[in-house]
Amino acid sequence: MSVFTKSPWIIHYDASSCNGCDIEVLACLTPIFDVERLGVVNIGNPKHADIFLVTGAVNEQSQSVIRNIYNQMPEPKVVVAVGICAATGGIFRECYNISGGVDSVIPVDVHVPGCAARPEAIIDGVVQALGVLEKKHQDMAATTGNIDQTLYLRAEKDDAPGILALQKNAGQCEAKIYGDESLPALQQTLEELQSDFDRMVFIKAVVNSKLIGFARGYVREDNTCVNGVIVHPYFRRHGIGRRLLEEIEKAFPSAKRFEIFTGQKNERGLHLLGKLGYREFKTEPFTPAITWVHLQKERQ
Amino acid sequence: MSIWIRVILYLVAAPVVGCLLAGWDRRISARMQSRRGPPILQPLYDVQKLWQKQNIVVRRSQNFYILFFLLLVIFTGALFFAGSDLLLVIFALTLAAIFFVLGAYKASSPYSFIGAERELIQMMAYEPMILLTAIGMYIVTKSFQVQKIASHPTLLVLVLPGIFLGFLFTLEIKFRKSPFDLSCSHHAHQELVRGITTEFSGRTLAMIEIAHWYENVFLLGWVYLFFASSPLLGVAVSLLVFVFVILVDNVFARLKWQTALRSAWVVAAVLGFGNILILSLLH
Repeated sequence: MSVFTKSPWIIHYDASSCNGCDIEVLACLTPIFDVERLGVVNIGNPKHADIFLVTGAVNEQSQSVIRNIYNQMPEPKVVVAVGICAATGGIFRECYNISGGVDSVIPVDVHVPGCAARPEAIIDGVVQALGVLEKKHQDMAATTGNIDQTLYLRAEKDDAPGILALQKNAGQCEAKIYGDESLPALQQTLEELQSDFDRMVFIKAVVNSKLIGFARGYVREDNTCVNGVIVHPYFRRHGIGRRLLEEIEKAFPSAKRFEIFTGQKNERGLHLLGKLGYREFKTEPFTPAITWVHLQKERQ
Repeated sequence: MSIWIRVILYLVAAPVVGCLLAGWDRRISARMQSRRGPPILQPLYDVQKLWQKQNIVVRRSQNFYILFFLLLVIFTGALFFAGSDLLLVIFALTLAAIFFVLGAYKASSPYSFIGAERELIQMMAYEPMILLTAIGMYIVTKSFQVQKIASHPTLLVLVLPGIFLGFLFTLEIKFRKSPFDLSCSHHAHQELVRGITTEFSGRTLAMIEIAHWYENVFLLGWVYLFFASSPLLGVAVSLLVFVFVILVDNVFARLKWQTALRSAWVVAAVLGFGNILILSLLH
């Protein structure tokens, strides 16, 4: 049993509950139930929390709050939906402003039944959540621990949704640097990406069947290969981007010249490309905040 | 015992003792509220877990400040247990706290901002009393060296009762306990989310926790200094003081910062300065 099951810190959010479940959540902290004996702390801060307890159905105003709290929690994290409203919307399901259970906004790991959920049931739900937390932690550890066993494979059209999710994730980090959301990585739709598969070669980096990076490229008429690389922010600085670039260069043995572009503030990326032999040959303004730096390299 | 043995002993033993103290703190608090309370090693489990969590930052540099906070707290305690100059110890302690505040400012969130501001106010509240404590000890022992103060034959608390009580008052602030847990409460759900530590997560939060373990041991070491001529009594009183701080934590509600600042200065003026005044009149 790892420490993750011994020290669950909880953040509790009331989506639009009638307060029945909320009172029962707080009852768990009282001397009768005393969840602190299990190491549980009801913490008011998403950045310190492991378990997200949500009570009540989700309405239009609480959606963004739930998403925000969920995104601010550090991995590994689990979500417990407490009570029947949090599961399906309950008796409020058909109200004009209710969009349903918590899983209509974020992935839920454990559902606690009841109206209102009994403290015993809530504690049981938290204990179940600990199992999920432990498993997520092991998955994370296995992925980061086996990074040297990364597989580099040709991606097929079926991989498009996963690739798009990764592209948006990485794109958001990039967009924060520039304060500009108009990056093509963020704007691309699933259909556009799928049609890219007809003309481009995609190579994916996979650890323990989890996609952590990909590269794509195609050859223009002048025997120039145009490519691009994206690596999951959590798995950068492990040599995956470099390996993906090498794989894509191998995939086009006939190409004489390689071309790639990136934003002017991507210092780490520019440094890596410089080390791989890419040299800047032109810059091109994209938006007021973003300037594309184009780099090229001749095949040796 | 040579200086180096004492310092190494402090570096190794302080986190262990600090962790156990933090565990007892939670257990005793729970018993005072007629709850069972977590296992004694719960703070260790918490830190181990935090060590493996993802570290989310607003700015990467905020973690750098916290690293220095931890190092300077350790340095402060090491100076103290090496028997060095008490004024230098206070200086290092202040510098450590400043790094903590800078880290919170760097995170630029309103909660950690107000937490940092309140931490500064708390520092303003306890600094005069801490300085008066060092001065009081100097007047009696004619030295700022911890080594010489500890080996002085008189029981310092008998000549410095006012300063001892004033020092107890500042301990409440330094331990971040009610009624002075303004900048960051150990208990959840205060008006500032988690105050000064709001924006720290994962490994950095664990470092803050470990720094508190070191700091608590150092502060109890200072309590011991008042009873240094009778070592057994000193250790017993240090532990009693710790229980007293927990009791006060559970009895009082949080004060406003104005009251905290004013009361701390009144205590420093009446108990601290008054004690020194009487001492100098008697001599």
